[in-house]
Amino acid sequence: MIVNETNKANPTASEVDASLRVPLLALFGGAAVWLVVGSVLALIASIKFHAPDFLADCPLLTYGRVQPAADDALLYGFCIPAGLGVMLWLFAHLGQVPLRGAIVPAVAANLWHLGVFIGLAAILLGDSTGFAWLEFPRAGSVLLFFAYLLLALWATMNFAGRRERALYPSHWFLVAALFWFPWIYSTANLLLVAWPVRGVVQAVIGWWFADNLVFVWLALVGIGAAFYFLPKYAGRPLQGYYLALYAFWLLILFGSWCGIPLGAPVPAWLPSISSFAAMMTLVSVLSVGVIMCKTLCGGKKCATLGGPYCFIRFGLGSFLISALMFIAMACPKFNLLTQSTWFGPAQTQLQLYGFFAMTMFGAIYHLLPRVVGFEWPFPRLARLQFWLSMAGVVLLVVPLAVGGVVQGIKLNNPGVAFLDAAQATLFWFRFSTTGLLLMLVGNLLFALNIFGLTTVWKFALVKKAIAMVKAPLEIAEVKA
Amino acid sequence: MKNGCYIFLAAFIALGGSWLGLVYGPVHQLGGAKQTMVLNSSDTYPLQRPGDAALGLQVYRANGCAACHTRKVRQTGMACNVELMNAGKNPVAVTNLISSLSLTNLTKEEADQVAGQITSAGGKSEIHIVATGPDIARGWGMRQSVAEDYLYDAPVQLGSLRAGPDLANIGVRAPDANWQLTHLYAPTGEVKGSTMPPFRYLFELRKTGGTPSPEALQFPKDFALPDGYEVVPTPEAKQLAAYLLSLRANAPLYNAPISP
Amino acid sequence: MSDESKSCSCQSPEGEPSAVRSTMPMWIIVITLVLVFLGAVYFDRYGGWFDRQVYGPYTSAYQLEEYQPKSGAAAAAAQGKRVYESVCGVCHGPDGLGKPGQAPPLAGSEWVNTKGFDRLAHIPLTGLNGPMQVEGKDWSLSMAPMGAALSDADLAAVLTYIRNSWGNKAGEVTTDDVKAVRAALGARPQPINGGQLKAMPE
Repeated sequence: MIVNETNKANPTASEVDASLRVPLLALFGGAAVWLVVGSVLALIASIKFHAPDFLADCPLLTYGRVQPAADDALLYGFCIPAGLGVMLWLFAHLGQVPLRGAIVPAVAANLWHLGVFIGLAAILLGDSTGFAWLEFPRAGSVLLFFAYLLLALWATMNFAGRRERALYPSHWFLVAALFWFPWIYSTANLLLVAWPVRGVVQAVIGWWFADNLVFVWLALVGIGAAFYFLPKYAGRPLQGYYLALYAFWLLILFGSWCGIPLGAPVPAWLPSISSFAAMMTLVSVLSVGVIMCKTLCGGKKCATLGGPYCFIRFGLGSFLISALMFIAMACPKFNLLTQSTWFGPAQTQLQLYGFFAMTMFGAIYHLLPRVVGFEWPFPRLARLQFWLSMAGVVLLVVPLAVGGVVQGIKLNNPGVAFLDAAQATLFWFRFSTTGLLLMLVGNLLFALNIFGLTTVWKFALVKKAIAMVKAPLEIAEVKA
Repeated sequence: MKNGCYIFLAAFIALGGSWLGLVYGPVHQLGGAKQTMVLNSSDTYPLQRPGDAALGLQVYRANGCAACHTRKVRQTGMACNVELMNAGKNPVAVTNLISSLSLTNLTKEEADQVAGQITSAGGKSEIHIVATGPDIARGWGMRQSVAEDYLYDAPVQLGSLRAGPDLANIGVRAPDANWQLTHLYAPTGEVKGSTMPPFRYLFELRKTGGTPSPEALQFPKDFALPDGYEVVPTPEAKQLAAYLLSLRANAPLYNAPISP
Repeated sequence: MSDESKSCSCQSPEGEPSAVRSTMPMWIIVITLVLVFLGAVYFDRYGGWFDRQVYGPYTSAYQLEEYQPKSGAAAAAAQGKRVYESVCGVCHGPDGLGKPGQAPPLAGSEWVNTKGFDRLAHIPLTGLNGPMQVEGKDWSLSMAPMGAALSDADLAAVLTYIRNSWGNKAGEVTTDDVKAVRAALGARPQPINGGQLKAMPE
């Protein structure tokens, strides 16, 4: 690498990117591992529906442990670290200030992955807390919390010290996301795991936490990233500063109140407020849709098929659909049909993978070569991943959603035996399991690229180190 | 917004608002919940689970049963049925009156009217309140689940998916410990075509000694065990079965009123 | 992926994006306001107004109370209370204390706490023209025959309710009792006055 003799007060873009190298490789590398692990676990869980005896004698792999582990591996193992990495890059890049003291975020990233490992192991060993999306016991969750705090602190310091002071819409979403997670995570862990509150209010807090993490936090980071990459690739400015502001405000104001399902065993005001909030969140989703359409229309048509642009567009489109599914589930009539059916998991998977993971793939495929300084070792595999992941998500979500509606119709008919309703969904599961398989292959390709890039970089480092060790000897010999 | 501080403030207000409304509010309103009285009775509800059942809740949690089973009965409506208790001094008139009226699935006003008519004719009637809804019709419960049903649960695991039937009243539907255990060991033995995984690791398959163990599971006739073997539940399996047997939520309460 | 960057400049876009400060589409604001209104209506109807005991599908504490299973005496008392609140309570007050110039009190009234029911039953069936003394005070008002339109069962229930509420402790009035009084009065009874009432046996 050529030593940069530019003015220290004006770091170049490549300097900024280079400062993020170690933390981002730590974050994304671990994220890629958990992505593959999560896919494998999800596939195992899905196969168990077709063959209940599959791996049934291993208590670590019983469905009730493997399914939550798969979900948590995807959310905590991949989504949140990838989101944090993209956030760090966006802050540094938009603010044009390199990340100082990058060793701390790198250590924090490893702490996070250690926490995820402990948490997943705990779930598989039977030590889960029992709360959806909060299964990691204290050992894991404390690590996650402090790792996040460190990363958020570094991101905040970078944001506060930015050279380019003007704020771009993505900033709002990302800064809010930095603040969001510690509050909800600590509240949920304190009130549910450390000093549990009594009775059904545990479920209320659990729903509040799940909504704020899986819906609001992911939406904030995903939309924040998408609002950066979409105009960049479309070659047009983001269509609607004020509309984006409106979408942001409505999302955080009302999105945080959704989550209590209708018909829950809690006083009627709680589900009613959640339904009301879901209706208002519809406006935020519509606004994002309008922004997306307006920014894309008339934008540059040419794009590498399967490149980051495709990922981002698919991701944001999936956000619109999954958010609409989420809001539909809060409508009384539709809720009667789909509550407690497979429609819920279908919506969650679309949100986690179809929206957030795909957006992160697009962002990572764009930014990591700039950060590491090398191109992707397998660019064609990266494009192949888009098709595999997209096909996988569609094959997973659509049949699952349809199966959920079918199940709901049958369950609402007291004349239909429960077993018939359960059997009816098995047909749709065949497609979903295939989808999971495709997603697993796609994720493997992603991991391959990440590790290939890491290896290329490390190899170059080693080569440079060897060169540095060798070079002075020659001069000394010459001098002598 | 020009300033990072404003974004922080916006996020603080939004999240603080939802924290107040969905965390602080419910904790304030429901967190100090106490036992309540069963309607028209001096029994308190709920009762603490006995030791094995309380441990069984932890086995339920550790094996992630809530991933497939919910524990909440939903009610979508309520109805009144009028029942004649006493034909009074004029049985013919009362009987004629009843045959001309609809006595089931009425609203409260209609039921009051009908009851008033019966009283005027000299008879005595009683109004029975029932819960209605697909869950109720399916026999999963007689009333909806309310906060009091989860008072002594730690953690509260309502479940969110019905890959398997709802368990709120499984202790009423399947009160036999042996059935619960054999179903856990081999679900397809008890329910043909079930997609529930077998929990064989909660049991011990061992050679029958001189006399069969009193705890050995009694399987249905068409379920074949290898000759000379018996299945004995581990303590965990027994605790889980005890927990499942303790799941009953049919007691009429003030906030889930049904006639006893 | 950058091997194609030389041919298509959109592949590695440089330059940071910007946001256009265009005006917001008005229809989004309209939709927001419509949804706020609809949501408020929905919450008003189904939210149970933050009551701790009201779970869906019950929509109010009142409805929950209505649907409590009541047996025998409790049911009759509930019926009597309902009739009272809709017919008598308007003038005599929800607590039976009456209002000067409007209606005399029923709580502790000697006209209510009688051994028999005959005299009392006349009042709602015929109507009453003052003057009369109630609990030591003079009242000179007139009351319409409010009970004439009620069924026997309803009137019996409300009289029983009045005789057993607010400290009153008198016996119940059955449907047959009311029927008998009505039959004795005939088709269109004249309003009774205070003197006639006093003269009647209890």
